[in-house]
Amino acid sequence: MKTVDIVERIEGEAKLNCTWENGLISDARIDFLNFRGFEYILENKSPLDALIYTPRICGICGQAHLKATVDALENVYENIGEKLEITPKAKLLREIGLNIEIIDSHIKWFYMFILPDIVKLETEDLGIYEPIKGKRWLEATKVASETIKSLAIIGGQWPHTSYMIPGGVMSDPTLLELTTMSNYLDGTIKFFENSISGVSIDKYLSFSKYENIEDLRGDLKYFSDLSLKYELTKYGKSYSQFISLGENTIFKKGRFKNKLINGIDYTKIVESEKNTFTIEDDNSEDKHTWAKSVLYKDEFYESGPLSRAMISNNKFIRSIYTKYEDSIYTRVFARINEVALLLIETKKLISKIDISQESFLEPKIDLKKLDGVYGESAIEATRGSLFHKVSINEGKIFSYNIITPSVWNLGPKYNNKFGVAQNAIIGAPSIDISKLILRSFDVCSVCTTH
Amino acid sequence: MKNKEKPTVVWFQAITCNGNTHSLLSANSNRLELFFDSFNLIYHPSLTIDKSLDDILNSNSKIDFLLVEGSISNNKKFFQISNNSTYNHLTKLIKKATYVISVGSCASFGGIHAMFKEHVGVKSVKEYFDKTLLKHQIINLGGCPVHPEWLLQTMFLLKDYGRIALDNEGRPKELYSSLVHHGCTRNEYFEWKVEGEFGTKEGCLFYDQGCRGPMTHGSCNKILWNDVSSKTRAGMPCVGCTEPTFPRDDMLNTKKNIGIPFEVPLGIPKRAYLSITGVAKTFKIDRLNKKLMD
Repeated sequence: MKTVDIVERIEGEAKLNCTWENGLISDARIDFLNFRGFEYILENKSPLDALIYTPRICGICGQAHLKATVDALENVYENIGEKLEITPKAKLLREIGLNIEIIDSHIKWFYMFILPDIVKLETEDLGIYEPIKGKRWLEATKVASETIKSLAIIGGQWPHTSYMIPGGVMSDPTLLELTTMSNYLDGTIKFFENSISGVSIDKYLSFSKYENIEDLRGDLKYFSDLSLKYELTKYGKSYSQFISLGENTIFKKGRFKNKLINGIDYTKIVESEKNTFTIEDDNSEDKHTWAKSVLYKDEFYESGPLSRAMISNNKFIRSIYTKYEDSIYTRVFARINEVALLLIETKKLISKIDISQESFLEPKIDLKKLDGVYGESAIEATRGSLFHKVSINEGKIFSYNIITPSVWNLGPKYNNKFGVAQNAIIGAPSIDISKLILRSFDVCSVCTTH
Repeated sequence: MKNKEKPTVVWFQAITCNGNTHSLLSANSNRLELFFDSFNLIYHPSLTIDKSLDDILNSNSKIDFLLVEGSISNNKKFFQISNNSTYNHLTKLIKKATYVISVGSCASFGGIHAMFKEHVGVKSVKEYFDKTLLKHQIINLGGCPVHPEWLLQTMFLLKDYGRIALDNEGRPKELYSSLVHHGCTRNEYFEWKVEGEFGTKEGCLFYDQGCRGPMTHGSCNKILWNDVSSKTRAGMPCVGCTEPTFPRDDMLNTKKNIGIPFEVPLGIPKRAYLSITGVAKTFKIDRLNKKLMD
């Protein structure tokens, strides 16, 4: 038996094609049918224009693309032996901006994109979690908009600011502004404590073993109880292979395959279009989606908060993983866990800023004067690792390649191997569960088919 | 007010990055809640839960406000939603709608997505549907993304007064008649021709950094973003995202000819601009050439 289902209420839309055998999904194909051609649009543009274009690939993770673009353009300078000096202040302001965006996104995702579906397993009456009407849903949107104000102080606005630039950042916050940023995050911490975890954030961050879940109250506890009841601890398991390409103050770079392996060799990343539509009209029957497949050393790896927790050795999430592996449950938990971690760390980063430092040191060479050069970067975005590679010929962008987190997780089959999410869906007993599995990756079709 | 008395709103997402949706969600939360209380948002692909797009398409009910996010195309090869082209869906929806509002630059003017040359037919809502027999003109809320407050104000105004004055680009005059330059905290530097640099609080970004504030219609510096700031206030040049010309080439650079900006502030004759800046430049005002804070 075959079924086709359109999945809305993700970022964009996906089509889920399932083959059923004995009441279980035996094959699952995920189609992303929308393509916007950003890599093509960027060709022939002035290199700095990429700072305006790439954030617009995604309305929710624009800062991640901005950071990846800035890093890639700075890598160009490094590759020609003219490494730019970036002040610690500028580096901090970039990392802070990206972190705030991730916090905002995780909160929205939990309350808008996954929790209502989990509550629905239990009751049709979503109560405080009901979109648009529910008290908690409204509180969550309020907290998200308050959180993002903190980023708007340095970016001028969110979404779609381009305040990072090769050489530093465009803004120059005062101490008062830094304090205000920190204040907004305090409001988010309060929400985490009162509504999400039900315990103080310090206590939450001291959790190191699975049993600590018993100490939780709040929505995370409710999520946990429902997950155990409806066996979300059992579903959504894939390869248990994790990758994290980017590194910063909080996250480490590396991969996990049975054990932790430090370091990443970017040349081992291979993107395939075997099952992917191309803009030329030679689309064979195998091709069913605009998402590409991406592999590291010929293998599929999951990217995202769970991967980051595994690779950065987060004790609490690893203890949950030990019990329930890479299930829906563990994946959701890892994402929410990051909210606490990022809130506290971002406040620390704000406190480390020395406002007397320069925000921007102008590069000595204009990118428009360069020819035959390239640069690449990898950062950790909301949904996982983001990779950018730019080449410049005669001062213009010659090519721009982007591998987004969703491509790692949601790309199609390669040879006989299922993609990560595909593999996770196989074995699911119902469409509702398979949609939850899909959602657990924080699906973004705008990023999958940039 | 009873639920059924509230105007119905359908948010259709076409070719988009979802930036306008997230802009709305970043609105002042009291205002957003008032919006949810005052209108009946029956469908939004990311927010509502009880209806699918197909439910809306197949229903005979009228839609009071049809909000469109993203550019439109009649080509299914590159972009389709719920098995059909965005143009075909919109053809159905628009017939049910009283007011049609293009939310953001893509829906208003084609935006970034219209620059993908291989995808022929990516256009704005107005380009496809201007000839449709609509009761009211299509309203363009330019901006990449739209300022959430501009959307809320437009909706409340139409709800209360049933009419809105529009400029030549179909944008509400009250929101787009002034320039981004108005209310910019760097205006004094502009007046006295004190040039700015990236990463500083001082100086004007018009002379070198490509700021389009003096020729871009929008109230970014009057109605602040996220309640707290604007691009130019923070130090980022305006990139002119509310205009049909967005995105342009070389956006972080001021195009010049022998040191003179290629484009001068809107409506000012180049000669007048040059004489005035020439005079202004002869004044060296210490205060404006110093750091605001040491």
